Amino acid sequence: MTVKLKKFRNFGTKLLIFGAVLGPGIITANVDNDAGGIYTYSVAGAKYGFSLLWTLIPITVALIIVQEMVGRMGVVTGKGLADLIREEYGFRTTFILMVLLIICNYGNTVSEFAGLASGVSVFHMSRFVAVPLGAIFVWLLVVKGSYRYVEKVFLAACVIYLAYPVSCYLSHPDWTSALVSTIKPSFQFNSNYLYMVIGLVGTTIAPWMQFYLQSAVVEKGVKIKDYIYSRMDVIVGCIMTDVVAFFIIVACAATIYVTGHRDIKDAADAAVALRPLAGHAASALFAVGLVNASLFSASILPLATAYYVCEGLGLESGINKRFNEAPAFYWLYTSLIFLGMLAVLLLSEDQQVPIILLSQVANGILLPFVVIFMLQLTNREDLMGAYKNSRAFNIIAWITCIVMIVLTALLAVSSLLPGKLPG
Amino acid sequence: MIYFTELQNLPFYGVKGEFLGELEDLCVDPGNKAARVASYLVRTPHKGIQCITYSQIQSLSVRAGQTNVPREEVRCYAPDEGLIRIKKDVLDQQIIDVNNRKVVRVNDVDFDIEPTDGHSELRIVAVNVGLAAAVRRLLQGTMSKHRIRLITNGLPNRTIQWEFVNLIESDPARRVKLRISYDRLAELHPADIADILKDLSYNEQKAVIESLDDETAAHALSEIPTKMQADLLESIPTEKAADIVEEMPPDEAADVLNQLSPETSAEVLADMEKDEAEEVRELLAFEENTAGSMMTTEYVVVHESATAEGAIEALRNFEGQVEAVQQIFIIDSETVLTGAVPIGRIVLAASTTPLMELASEPLISVQAQQSARSVVDLFHKYNLMSLPVVDEERHLLGIVTADDVLEHVINRK
Repeated sequence: MTVKLKKFRNFGTKLLIFGAVLGPGIITANVDNDAGGIYTYSVAGAKYGFSLLWTLIPITVALIIVQEMVGRMGVVTGKGLADLIREEYGFRTTFILMVLLIICNYGNTVSEFAGLASGVSVFHMSRFVAVPLGAIFVWLLVVKGSYRYVEKVFLAACVIYLAYPVSCYLSHPDWTSALVSTIKPSFQFNSNYLYMVIGLVGTTIAPWMQFYLQSAVVEKGVKIKDYIYSRMDVIVGCIMTDVVAFFIIVACAATIYVTGHRDIKDAADAAVALRPLAGHAASALFAVGLVNASLFSASILPLATAYYVCEGLGLESGINKRFNEAPAFYWLYTSLIFLGMLAVLLLSEDQQVPIILLSQVANGILLPFVVIFMLQLTNREDLMGAYKNSRAFNIIAWITCIVMIVLTALLAVSSLLPGKLPG
Repeated sequence: MIYFTELQNLPFYGVKGEFLGELEDLCVDPGNKAARVASYLVRTPHKGIQCITYSQIQSLSVRAGQTNVPREEVRCYAPDEGLIRIKKDVLDQQIIDVNNRKVVRVNDVDFDIEPTDGHSELRIVAVNVGLAAAVRRLLQGTMSKHRIRLITNGLPNRTIQWEFVNLIESDPARRVKLRISYDRLAELHPADIADILKDLSYNEQKAVIESLDDETAAHALSEIPTKMQADLLESIPTEKAADIVEEMPPDEAADVLNQLSPETSAEVLADMEKDEAEEVRELLAFEENTAGSMMTTEYVVVHESATAEGAIEALRNFEGQVEAVQQIFIIDSETVLTGAVPIGRIVLAASTTPLMELASEPLISVQAQQSARSVVDLFHKYNLMSLPVVDEERHLLGIVTADDVLEHVINRK
């Protein structure tokens, strides 16, 4: 009896520790599935059916490798990525990275608000009402310090993604073929297909996530002896991201791709994928999911950006400080939201394209640096001690990085020179 | 005044005008004239990093450095952990600004050139954390130093005098070599030290706590969130942890020990002085979120036969925290609580007044197993500063003070 109890207690303690370190990885994963992510996965499924599913496994592996590194760095050094880069690479490098990060995340913020506008359009609500309301909501959420509670609401609302697997099931896709496509790589050598692959990688592995995850792990105060739980959290998060992606792609393939009308122009088009489950309410269901994803990411991205930039440049930051104590922090945070909102309100969708492109280019330039810095830092004996990368890990990580760098570089180039991609 | 950004990559020449190399870093010897640059590390074209000592520097300017020895007499650089390297250990690192009580990141370092005994010496004046210094870092090397000065002159500048700079070194051995002490930091209010600690990474927190004296460490630790306290105590040697916990008020000590793993908690208790450990153990027995878990066992108590003078005598002999002396408690021979007297009333009364005559009516107390919530309600309802905690037979066990109630309420939020 006592033995049993003890065992249970041990298991209980483990569960408790897991609960205490749990979160950063899973939250990062869910912010990763933002408006842009959902849109990209939907298009991938609608346009190419199952033929892009195979990319998900390598993407997951790459995501895990990259995120595991930052998670480990956070636990071992107790410092954020921006802090470490500043301490090891100096002011100028940090400054340039931070400027790129701002551009990148400004573009992302614009797409979150665009996602919000697109979501509410299903309910015939004007974006001129919804977007300012969303912006004020997000801004107040953080400034008034109620973010921690609302984060849980956002996270809980992510169960809405369960609609996709259910919808998949109801639409009777060819599961064998879907699974085979997931395992067996198949290429199409044309620029659109390549562009889509790059888009999938780009939307899943973004530079800001590395900064965010590392800071979140540091803030959680995870200790080295509990790192194993943190690693599990990161891996579970990465897999979650791509399981959601898998079901979105399959659902879109089974409902939109098969009809032959394979273009997704707006939220209503993408919502067709949920019709087997929700019927006429599909659009509403999709819109609610999209609005949740957009607001969740919009509440994290600008805030996180303001944090890293101020940290890296040595400026006062933190929501527990007053406006006049941390002016740069609040200005940056407020302008990202305000200008993000303005772009969606004042510019037509075509006019927003240059902002998104610029942000993708910034993303493409930023990612290689961030990843290479990460690899260098995680190989430093004086920083990481016994937790530095093993040789086997390094080989896999370098291959991953090089592939990712080539793909993001291609994306950046193709954004600047549309139609110039070979194929 | 000359900035490190202007000195970096400065060309150095030998006595015959031969080129030696470019400046890589500056070293300061904390044990010997702590503000003087003791050696100049120069990147040479063929011999790697070489080290010019301060007495070998003939002259120095924004344009070049001139030594008074030929190239052959400059020796190779042998890494020395006992020296502070400006670029490696100071620039871009976080330091504690003791004067302004916060953690800041260094953008640049300011020096003065001083002619001494026929040669030139460089003295550190301050570290620079302002916007001007940031812009200097950004522009460094892209245009002439003169031009950079013109651009940055009008920008806001913020410096911290070198003597108020506390470096943060997480390696204990190196900390000793660099003679880093946190004496000035220790003079700050514990709440300010706690704020500084919160801005540091885990290893750095550990470094600071380990170098503070036990009492200061205990007070500072009491001001940071309990989980952070526990993490820190787990990471430092048990003996030191026990010394720090001993210095904490028993209720705070119990809260922290509750957060530690059972093994560490037991080890710390075993290492503590018997009496203090016993007090803490008793508190640990109470369930969380009960009056018992909030109380402290440090309070002033006198027998019911005492007079005002006797109470004041008891006060003078009390060694605990001042928060605990808002009221003096009265017990009978069975240690049953019979009264509580506000300290003000005792001071104002004639010295021979029996204490029982001064006691507050009604006598408000709480039972140890009652909920924390009910404690908060009592404090709120009766505007209390302290509240006695008793068992079922009304034996006095301890008291809850207003600061603990406030902390409980804030943590709940």
